Amino acid sequence: MLSVKNLKTYFPIRKGIFQKTVGYVQAVDDVSFDMKKGETLGLVGESGCGKTTTGRSILQLIPPSSGSILFNGKNISGASDADMRSLRRDMQIVFQDPYGSMNPRMTIRNIVEEALIVQKIGTPKERFERVRDVLHKVGLDDTCIYRYPHEFSGGQRQRVCIARALILNPQFIVLDEPISALDVSIQSQIINLLAKLRDELELTYLFISHDLSVVEYLSDRVAVMYLGKIVETALASELYANPCHPYTQALLSSIPTMDAKKRAKRILLQGDVPSPIHPPKGCRFHPRCPICKDICKSETPPLIQISESHSVSCHAVE
Amino acid sequence: MEQQESTIIEDIQQSQVPASQGYWRETWRRFRRRKLAMCALVYVCIMALVAIFSPAIAGTKPIICKYKGQIYFPCLGYFFQRWENPIFITDGVLNKYPTKLKENDPDSWAIFPLMYNDITRRVKENEMPGRPGNPAFANGVPSAMNPCGTNAYGYDVAAMMIHGTRIALLVGFISTGIAAMVGICIGALAGYFGGWVDMILSRFIEVVMCVPTLVLILAFIAILERPSIFHTMAIIGLTTWPGIARLTRGEFMKLKQSEYVTAARSLGTGQLRIIFRHILPNALAPVLVPITFGIAAAILTESGLSFLGVGSSVSTASWGKILSEGRSNLSMWWLTFFPGLAIFLTVLAYNLIGEALQEATDPRLREAGK
Repeated sequence: MLSVKNLKTYFPIRKGIFQKTVGYVQAVDDVSFDMKKGETLGLVGESGCGKTTTGRSILQLIPPSSGSILFNGKNISGASDADMRSLRRDMQIVFQDPYGSMNPRMTIRNIVEEALIVQKIGTPKERFERVRDVLHKVGLDDTCIYRYPHEFSGGQRQRVCIARALILNPQFIVLDEPISALDVSIQSQIINLLAKLRDELELTYLFISHDLSVVEYLSDRVAVMYLGKIVETALASELYANPCHPYTQALLSSIPTMDAKKRAKRILLQGDVPSPIHPPKGCRFHPRCPICKDICKSETPPLIQISESHSVSCHAVE
Repeated sequence: MEQQESTIIEDIQQSQVPASQGYWRETWRRFRRRKLAMCALVYVCIMALVAIFSPAIAGTKPIICKYKGQIYFPCLGYFFQRWENPIFITDGVLNKYPTKLKENDPDSWAIFPLMYNDITRRVKENEMPGRPGNPAFANGVPSAMNPCGTNAYGYDVAAMMIHGTRIALLVGFISTGIAAMVGICIGALAGYFGGWVDMILSRFIEVVMCVPTLVLILAFIAILERPSIFHTMAIIGLTTWPGIARLTRGEFMKLKQSEYVTAARSLGTGQLRIIFRHILPNALAPVLVPITFGIAAAILTESGLSFLGVGSSVSTASWGKILSEGRSNLSMWWLTFFPGLAIFLTVLAYNLIGEALQEATDPRLREAGK
């Protein structure tokens, strides 16, 4: 359904009065993955690794620098605004900050209805009915229709944002850290709502998060990103049981757990994430890697398939 | 289905949820708490009423009269000369309404303004039966007949000030209106599109910012054959927009990056809709503040120009002009005191309103709660 090939999104760094480009932030560097209909792909990684940029590049909200994005067999990379408009009926996004992603001057009705107006769907009455339906679907009642975003709690706002993404009946939704800004108690409600909607409406999710336990719960497959690259991708169950890349191992060991034995095995990474402006040569993870070899410093490891659904980009993995 | 919608709204009303507060209602609630600003707002509203009804408050032309079987509104002549029916000029009634109307047509009747005084001439004795003529020079101290005194020629100062209100408010609103329109458009373009559009427009803003308003107006007055108050308004408007443009530009640059604009783009919203529905309403509140201050500044500039003796034609009464008469007749204190007070209070009122608006719309103060 969705196939991303060699996606690169670079942001030019401009300096001086003539705005000369002096370098690039390599936010997303050569990312490829495929998604089947009805599948949920979890995209994890620490902040600044390019998860969000990947999601937004797929929707052309940030123009990708190169690579192709095939959506239902059609390359949408670099599509014109007019072409994208009809495509946007099928692909939507839910943002991290539900409050920031709603116009504070618009009522919930206007916010949710806007997609229909922009896409020129239905008469005002039909639109109103659809707004009500979709709000009911996400668990909001009629009393909220004419209220403003600031009158809602975080969880309710995120429900409105989900309703806005759903009103066009999309097939594919990018969930850009949809629960990170919410309380823990609300997080589970939203996660359950997302799971319910996926099953009811046969949605395909690209679930971006840094919360590994949530990703495990919701995703069929997981891709781990580090500094603009995918370092490991596998079925969720397999990745959590048998992580191969040292970064994934470190990441998984950081999940808080009640088990004292597991806690002892925690892998602590040294140093910080390097700057994506000057990423390290060779394997991007090598300066922090506990099992770094000489080859890692000079050659970029390719993404090797080690089993049917498990690929790793590491020289240490045979 | 229409019925359904109305029943839903009814349901919502019955559900006892407090009515939601829109942005402007919230702003108004915050604004209202400031007593001084509310006084200023009331003052400005009264000034607006005085300005609109100035010909009915002070003047020598009847508000309404019946003459030769027809109804006329000669007082409108104070707004535009043309609006005073020519029949009064041909019949020689002009400036002698109280006596001449009856003389020419015994069946005629007329209702005169509250104060029988003119702004461009002295009221002579028995012009209005039983009314003494206006005193002139130092005799023109404030009295019951001339509450703010008269000037050297015997014109009533109160009448001139009442009609001057119209000029002051017109100058304030029209010139700031021009400035706001130009400023918001240019600022929005520069802020939204960025890049070289922003580069060019920003340099243009800086160039205009360097132009001194007063000097430009003086130069124009020198060139123009018949300078009117509207030329002054246009020039004030066309030189004071950079401040508004810069603020709008900043707001647009900020809001362009906001998550809800990205969200709107993800729905396929067009650029025009994004500019007008998403960015502009949110950018407008902070821009309102310099607009309010701009009104005060424009009034001050116009008064300054009239004080220098340029800017408005002879037939327009303006506060600054009375002030400048006071300059040459220093012993007649009422020529300086009353118009000075009016200018001071009006400018103060607009500044108070602007300041209160600033606090009422400031998001940081809003977020802080009560």
